[in-house]
Amino acid sequence: MLLAKTLTSTTFKLALIAIGTFGVVVSAIISYVYLSTNAYIRSRSDRAIMAEYVELRGVYEQSGREGLINLVRQRTTDKAFAGHLYVLIDPSCAVLAGNLAEWPPTAIAPSGWTEFRGPGASPEGSGSPLVRGMINTFASGDRLLVGQDISDLDSFARQIEKAVISVVSLIVVLAGVCSILVTRRTVGRIEQINATSRAIMASGLDKRIPLRGSHDEWDRVAENLNLMLDRIETLMDEVKQVSDNLAHDLRTPLTRMRGRLEKAYHSRRFDENAQALIGDTIADLDAVLRIFTSITRIAQIETQVRKEAFRTVNLVEIAHKVVELYDAAAEQNGTRLTMTGSGEVLAIGDRDLIFDAIANLVDNAIKHGRAGGQVVVSSETVNGRAVISITDDGPGIPADQHEQVFKRFYRLEQSRYTPGNGLGLSLVAAVARLHGARIEMSDNAPGLQFKLWFSAPASTIG
Amino acid sequence: MTGGHRRILVVEDDPETAGQLVEQLTTSGYQVDLATCGNDAVSQGSACDYAVITIDRMLPDIDGLAVMRRLRDDGIAAPFLIISALGEVDDKVRGLRAGGDDYLVKPFSFVELLARLEALGRRSDTIAKETILRVGDLAIDLISRTASRRGKGIDLLPREFQLLEYLVRNEGRIVSRAMLLQHVWDLHFDPSTNIIDVYVGRVRRKVDDQQAYPLIHTIRGIGYCLRAPG
Repeated sequence: MLLAKTLTSTTFKLALIAIGTFGVVVSAIISYVYLSTNAYIRSRSDRAIMAEYVELRGVYEQSGREGLINLVRQRTTDKAFAGHLYVLIDPSCAVLAGNLAEWPPTAIAPSGWTEFRGPGASPEGSGSPLVRGMINTFASGDRLLVGQDISDLDSFARQIEKAVISVVSLIVVLAGVCSILVTRRTVGRIEQINATSRAIMASGLDKRIPLRGSHDEWDRVAENLNLMLDRIETLMDEVKQVSDNLAHDLRTPLTRMRGRLEKAYHSRRFDENAQALIGDTIADLDAVLRIFTSITRIAQIETQVRKEAFRTVNLVEIAHKVVELYDAAAEQNGTRLTMTGSGEVLAIGDRDLIFDAIANLVDNAIKHGRAGGQVVVSSETVNGRAVISITDDGPGIPADQHEQVFKRFYRLEQSRYTPGNGLGLSLVAAVARLHGARIEMSDNAPGLQFKLWFSAPASTIG
Repeated sequence: MTGGHRRILVVEDDPETAGQLVEQLTTSGYQVDLATCGNDAVSQGSACDYAVITIDRMLPDIDGLAVMRRLRDDGIAAPFLIISALGEVDDKVRGLRAGGDDYLVKPFSFVELLARLEALGRRSDTIAKETILRVGDLAIDLISRTASRRGKGIDLLPREFQLLEYLVRNEGRIVSRAMLLQHVWDLHFDPSTNIIDVYVGRVRRKVDDQQAYPLIHTIRGIGYCLRAPG
């Protein structure tokens, strides 16, 4: 898990690019050193061969073939010229003198530089030695080759090559390990921040990113994020406090007003008109008070305190009660309200709140569904998860507004004039969050389907 | 209810709420005693025979539920009306209601409180033993779960019968929508729409249509009342 995250992280990719660049530069430097050293050594040996060749050619030109044969014989026995190779052949390719048994078959050029594998074993024992030589064909048709065993040079080159390969691979391995370690550390810290963010989204603003006490830049990032969270929490609390206070402060005088109106209503001192006005005012006040109650209720659900009262509940039974309660309302609307699912569909939760959520969804389905249409409430257990769905065949909700409808006081343009306060779905969302349930909204073509997937372990019996 | 039995004990620690309650209840003809903490409530509750005791769930010393337990242990039979803030309505409170008492969630309208006090007080002085209840020409049979007017049967769903039974048992008293939800549906729920009205409307059509006089009356802004004329 962490390794996979390490390998896919940006830091690691950047590290790989750095390693690659560094490796190329190091290889280039070492190659340059290798090539220039090689060239230097080669030019020294070339100069030595050339000097020897010039001398031998001079002897041939002055003393002729015999003089040169003598000199070559002398040279091949002289220990000071060990490592030098000489061959002199006549036009029929017969060897006249030299320490090679035959003219090397690869040296076909009439004159100039040549390189070939000489006879015998090289000093390191790695096959035949490498020989570099100068060839000349004299006017008589005799050919001379003066060469030198450059196996030393060859093995030097190979050693450098080995050194280059091992140094480069060592660098790559070391850099790879270092970057994985560094990336891991980075990914670990980022993962901590991510985990905290997820926890905050899941349960609330009380979580903070842990500090390592290393006072490094990560700790500083974490500190700042934590400070930001503190600030957000304070602001949220203040906003909540303000709205709670507002709800409370307004509720008290409104309740008193309601009491006075009630008193007036029951005193029967007014004519029918005034009486009706008072009654309507009371009804409006009730609507306002109900909104305050809903806000307080949603806020209270969001504090998650009610989780303590969770029990195993049967969704079928709750759905049955909701359907029974809304039966008359559906009938009045000409809607056919039915339910499917029997036996037990068990979930863990608060019976009243689940009832409330389902009731809100059914209420919406009846209100916003097609008049004379049908609403189906069905509960079932799918893959061990309890699901309850509420389906209507009304106009539905445009897909781009699916998320919006859960906002407080949000009302669709089409339902601006139907009764309701726009808090119903916020309550459903709050209840779902409390239960860790997922809300799924889908197009029923025509109509809308709401599904509540409970995550709590559920089982089907009967 | 006899004049001597309109005595109520209000247990409430918040002075403002307590003051309002005492004032309004006194205006409505009740004799009100006030206890501002749990211990006072226990001693006052056992000293006098109250028609109803209203108890705030949160008290400074002992929990309202504990006060009730102690009074019950002392043999006090008076019904309790638990007044609790929103969010304090838990299984414990609901369990107590099943035992015969009632609860009310703040904020409540005073009429709602009165309706509940009346219902509770009535229950404490009349224990109906009859199996057939009558209001005017309406008769409901609690054994066969059937209702009839002038001997003509009314076709009711089980829940509709329960609703009618509750109204009949509270004959002449105002019954609020929340009371119906709690006692007929066993729900603590605040429907945002007129769902109860629609339901009662359907029962009313079945009970009152084509009859000599209506029995179920709407009390604007509060709820319903079942009563025979005269």
